[in-house]
Amino acid sequence: MNNFFLQTLTGLQISALYMLIALGLTLVFGTLGVVNFAHGALFMLGAYFAVEIASQFGFEVAIVAVPILLFIVGVALERGLIRHFYERSHTDQILVTFGLAIVIGEVLKTIYGANNIPFAKPTWGTGILRLDEYLPFLDGAVYYPKWRLILVVVSFSTVAALFILLQFTKFGLIVRAGMRDSQMIAFLGVNITRRFTIVFGIGSIIAAIAGIFGGPITQVEPELGMKLLIPSFLVVVVGGMGSLPGAVLASLIFGMAISFTAEYAPIQQIIIYLIAVVILLVRPRGLMGKKGLME
Amino acid sequence: MISLVSILKRFPLTIFALVVLSLPFWFPYIGGYVGLATKMTIWALFALGFDLLLGFTGYLSFGHAIFFGMSAYTTGLMFKHFSAEIIPAMIIAVIVGTLASVAVGYLTMKRSGIYFSILTLAFGEMLHSSALSTFGWFTGGENGLTLPDLRPVLFGIRMDGLTMYFVTAFFLIVGYYIAMRISKSPFGLILRAIKSNSQRLEYTGIDVQKYKLGAFVLSAVYASVAGSLMVVYEPYVGTEYLHWSTSGELVIMSVMGGLGTLIGPIIGAWFMLYFENVLSVPLGEEWLLVLGLIFMAVVIFLPGGFVDGVKKLYNKLTKNSADVEGK
Amino acid sequence: MTKKSDISKTVSRRSILKAGALGTAAMSAPMFYAKNAWAESQIGNYPIEGDTVMLGFNVPQTGAYADEGADELRAYKLAVQHLNNGGGMLETMTPNKLTGAGILGKKVDFVVGDTQTKADAARTSARRMIERDKIIMLTGGSSSGIAIAQQYLASEMGIIFMAGLTHSNDTTGKDKRRYGFRHFFNAEMTGIALSPILADTYGKDRRAFHLTADYSWGHTQHDAMKRGTEAQGWTTVNNLMTPVGGPDFSQYLTAVLASDADVLVLNHYGKDMVNSLTQAVEFGMRELQKNGKTMEVVVPLFSRLMAQGAGSSAIQGVLGTTNWNWTLQDAGSKAFVEAFQAEYGFPPSMAAHTCYCQTLLYANACEVAGTFYPPEVIKALEGFEFDGMGNGPTLYRAEDHQCFKDILVVKGKSPTDKTGEFDLLEIVGTTPRDVVTYDASIFGGELGPYEPV
Repeated sequence: MNNFFLQTLTGLQISALYMLIALGLTLVFGTLGVVNFAHGALFMLGAYFAVEIASQFGFEVAIVAVPILLFIVGVALERGLIRHFYERSHTDQILVTFGLAIVIGEVLKTIYGANNIPFAKPTWGTGILRLDEYLPFLDGAVYYPKWRLILVVVSFSTVAALFILLQFTKFGLIVRAGMRDSQMIAFLGVNITRRFTIVFGIGSIIAAIAGIFGGPITQVEPELGMKLLIPSFLVVVVGGMGSLPGAVLASLIFGMAISFTAEYAPIQQIIIYLIAVVILLVRPRGLMGKKGLME
Repeated sequence: MISLVSILKRFPLTIFALVVLSLPFWFPYIGGYVGLATKMTIWALFALGFDLLLGFTGYLSFGHAIFFGMSAYTTGLMFKHFSAEIIPAMIIAVIVGTLASVAVGYLTMKRSGIYFSILTLAFGEMLHSSALSTFGWFTGGENGLTLPDLRPVLFGIRMDGLTMYFVTAFFLIVGYYIAMRISKSPFGLILRAIKSNSQRLEYTGIDVQKYKLGAFVLSAVYASVAGSLMVVYEPYVGTEYLHWSTSGELVIMSVMGGLGTLIGPIIGAWFMLYFENVLSVPLGEEWLLVLGLIFMAVVIFLPGGFVDGVKKLYNKLTKNSADVEGK
Repeated sequence: MTKKSDISKTVSRRSILKAGALGTAAMSAPMFYAKNAWAESQIGNYPIEGDTVMLGFNVPQTGAYADEGADELRAYKLAVQHLNNGGGMLETMTPNKLTGAGILGKKVDFVVGDTQTKADAARTSARRMIERDKIIMLTGGSSSGIAIAQQYLASEMGIIFMAGLTHSNDTTGKDKRRYGFRHFFNAEMTGIALSPILADTYGKDRRAFHLTADYSWGHTQHDAMKRGTEAQGWTTVNNLMTPVGGPDFSQYLTAVLASDADVLVLNHYGKDMVNSLTQAVEFGMRELQKNGKTMEVVVPLFSRLMAQGAGSSAIQGVLGTTNWNWTLQDAGSKAFVEAFQAEYGFPPSMAAHTCYCQTLLYANACEVAGTFYPPEVIKALEGFEFDGMGNGPTLYRAEDHQCFKDILVVKGKSPTDKTGEFDLLEIVGTTPRDVVTYDASIFGGELGPYEPV
């Protein structure tokens, strides 16, 4: 029982980080129709910013400042580069953002070096928690790192906030309409371009959140973006391009699969690819993908 | 100027063959060396085949390292357990690579767009991880498949230095000739039609699936020949031959050179390897940053790659000179 | 250029034949005739034309080990400076035939290549230096797979390869080559050196759980640690293979939590080690009570650069082995650290140290042999016994080209104990050379011929 519980918790916690990164990716794709391979680099940028700010002014300041910074970076990026690729092919979008990811990674390497730099957790997040004191069905002492539980909470709260934003606000309504038919919305006199810019900024904010709360776990190094981008991208595609619930579901599947195969190395190392292949062969557009998108 | 272009247009194959065959003789003057010329030629062949898929049909495969790598491993294992003669090793390797492409192509070609890309990536990464761990006992894992004191031979002639270069040059020239013929054939036209409008093509009653698979397998044959030649050139197989970054590099060089032009990806492959191994030296640690910036600049400003850039430049020049003459 | 080298190749083939004939004739003749015979033949880039000798430094400048690579390069440049002008360990190493006036009267120059932390790229870059820049010796590498890939290439091309940082048994074990030499220690020595100290510190009835990087170095490291600790009475509960470069180890750490193990052994290196160690600490693996004991974490291969990445709060009290540390007080280490500090403003890493030593050892062997002719230089290195280079009396064993020296067991310093940014490791013990010396035949492999086929 304890063991099964721990493995489930670990699965949940692994999926939390994938979910955060995949969420930004799929949001930008679903609304803007842009495949952003630089999203991993934005996440990494968030982590580096967070290290700098947390060490100078404290972790709490980083939680506020880094999303703002990344929002600015995101807006600048959308205005300066991404916007010019709306009409280009998805291949071109992938390539230019891939190039951008290389450039960001190399610049960070030049500044901070190729090795990890330590990212200390705040005092309120360090240490382990005795779970059996709260959960009576566990027998004996069961511990789990506090920070991982915080990550799970942050991740699911972010998902919830994004759903509320898209489903229950006027902004969300316009954005969702824009996803279906951006020209029509433009005819109706809505400035959809400005809203697209904001959506890209929101995607960057989610990347920042992932960087702040994921950074202390993964440590901060210039190849981190690419390492997490590939599995996160797999999450997005398996969930169905542009589908937020799909991304959530797929990241949960991935997290659980990774956690429960930990002791079977040959399967463990290919499990996410195996799942991706099986799901995409059975369901051509992933779990919840829409017809015609990205085909 | 104009006469040069007309010569290029009339005898593309001859000019191409002359450039390829003379490469090792003028290459040292720009900092090159025979070993690099050989590797560049092998990658050119790899990229040329890839153009038949991505450039013609628009299918972006992130898994071509599968065929390059599998063929390389087969060649290495043939050398190790059978003989150092390259002909049997290369034949078996290309057969293995081709069979793998039929299987992978059959499964992935039913999907399109990003779903196809991710499927090929997933197959590639599964194979790469397995080569590192599960199959490590015969691939050599991280240490690579090493072949101590083995020297590949063709009818007893050692494959090194200029001899090896001309063998690879032969494959590239033949490969280019075949690709040119395919490009002009009805098969090539249908492939291009798949890129512009696959659905309309289906209405005409053409079995699009068959053609797509044909293009996939064809490009994999090129990849297999290249992978096999790589091990003939260097009797060593590294696991990174199977890694997605090998597929990624292939995509980058193809796009930089100019997709769908056949010569473009070849130039892209040459440029990239030349940059990585010669121009990188004075740039030191920052060379990858510079390459990334060049790559971005090409995608942003020259969607047609280097070939498109040269064409635009040429048109501008001739237009200008025509203007001058007119005045 | 190519034409020229090709002509020289055909000429050389003829001269090899001639040399062979002379050699056979010389079998019964006095020794100096035989010496003349080798002086004529060509191997790799021998003979050297002109009055400079070119060395090739192939280090990772991009990719995961770029920081190690940068430090290695600093050490190489320093070595070249000392070879040409004297200074550094030239004043402490014994026996020493180096004068500070280059090697054999030739000025030392170098070229640099980027391995990109990839075996294939490393070979291509090594080829550039061998074919175009005419290097006589190749050195570098910051991981075993890449070192082995270069070692094979160098052997094929008749260029001596002085391996940099590589810790796998394979480099001088099953993949050993006549043209490859390693100064760095290896996984086997780590297992032998660390286990007794672990048993002394943590007791003899410990239950160990291993996490191992799933590639050849990890496997040899796990194997050596398992044998070493089990000989001390420990039990190995389980071993899980982890993929290289994984940013999160929580799924494996969960399995450790669920087991009854009271020691966690992390057979990881580089970023893997930094991540698995910090995460193990996060999971409470240094405070939990198991089987009535406090749980402990062991990192068999420790380095200062990695300790920096993990931070001293994570590494404090963690035991491991290291090849060398800049705080050593012997004359050789002090001379090197002083020169390095003066040049770059901070102390060198163990990767820098081994690369510096390798360059000097090669240069000295050329002086001993009186020639750059590779087979003679190899013979001068084989069985070479030296001292004054920071590791005490050291032997380059002829049978496998592995250096044998005392092994340092270190412990991570706590944030309050350290005196500066780079003072992270404390030496807690030294396992003598004769204890860590193992039988050369246990790993198999063949050195191959002195003259490449």
